[in-house]
Amino acid sequence: MAAFRNIKSITQISKLFNNAVSNRTVIPANTVLAIRNLSTTKCLGGLMEFFDDEKNWGVNEVKTGKSWSIDELRIKSNSDLHKLWFVLLKERNMLLTMEEESKEETRLFPSPERIDKVEVSMDNLEAVVKERNKAYFELETGETGERKVEEIMGPFGLPVQHEQEEYLIPKHMNAEWQKKHVHDVDNADVKKFVRLYKEKEMREKRQQQTRDFNHVIGLLKRFPDMDMEALKAKYPDVDIDKAKRSRKCRGHFVPK
Amino acid sequence: MSTRIYPLYQRGGPQLRVFLPNFWMKLVRPQQEQPPNVVQFSCSIEMTKFDVKNYLEKIYGVKTVDVRTRIALGKTKRDLVNGYVVKEDDIKYAYAILPKDEVFKFPNLFPKEVEESQKQEEKSLEEAKKIYNQYVDRNKDRPNVPGWFSI
Repeated sequence: MAAFRNIKSITQISKLFNNAVSNRTVIPANTVLAIRNLSTTKCLGGLMEFFDDEKNWGVNEVKTGKSWSIDELRIKSNSDLHKLWFVLLKERNMLLTMEEESKEETRLFPSPERIDKVEVSMDNLEAVVKERNKAYFELETGETGERKVEEIMGPFGLPVQHEQEEYLIPKHMNAEWQKKHVHDVDNADVKKFVRLYKEKEMREKRQQQTRDFNHVIGLLKRFPDMDMEALKAKYPDVDIDKAKRSRKCRGHFVPK
Repeated sequence: MSTRIYPLYQRGGPQLRVFLPNFWMKLVRPQQEQPPNVVQFSCSIEMTKFDVKNYLEKIYGVKTVDVRTRIALGKTKRDLVNGYVVKEDDIKYAYAILPKDEVFKFPNLFPKEVEESQKQEEKSLEEAKKIYNQYVDRNKDRPNVPGWFSI
């Protein structure tokens, strides 16, 4: 669900749909198309759509295909994607209903991977829509059209990523908002917290450096003819010459 | 109808259109007995009554007269080993009231297996009866002899 949250406004998508409809090429009716049209199941209608096919009730396994991949979705038109979204949404609701009832009855829910497949398909579909939206906006306005993110100082004196949103009244005129969103960074407690936090970060960094250094010594001891370039690339913070000079680095043999 | 960010509505602005709603709804077996035209759902916690009504009407084609919602508090438990408190998620339940003449009965989703297990139980009971009768028959003429004593 977290993937769904940082999404552009929906009017932007609506523009995208309108645009796509106007640009669609007209195919003559007698042309044989190599592509298969989007097939949907027959509408059973009403609330029974929340349940699986009756032949799948009480079985141990339901065989299904794979989820929709991004490449398959990219070649679909916007209206097809829009229809497919609702097919997937209904499928997910159906699977969740069946899962819940199976749990209630303490029975086996057949093929639970179906839920994952549907969710992967929905994520992929949304990624494709986002992609098209972004391309459209970059072409039209030069911006991505995504929700803007800025870095602000949080209540604990640490920088946090803030997703911008719309306000009816500007911040500098909105006394109520200002009262609510005051972060007293000069507070003694905040200062103490930041100091201790930074101290902890520094300590962790130093310990990691020491660990790496000792590890490099061990490596040099066991493999004296190893590739120094690769070692340097893997441990850029370690002073290899210093490690070589270390007493611990010398093996248990007479040096040549 | 979804958890996305929409532009703020101001007078004269366009009507809100939801293109890819991501709310979920589960049809659940009602915990308490309900009138025949009431259907219970559990749904995304952000959904309002209007959302539920529109969701059912536009996506499933189910007309509702009224929708009522409640949020059930998740149960809290104490961890057996470490003693901290664990809370389950809250659940939003929606009660959709269908028109008066419509009836919805929650179907039995596991009809086959129940019959099979009942048959199996009956079978094992019959077998137990048979063995007991054999035992009684064998020991008719020799009372107070333990069961293992036999030639």
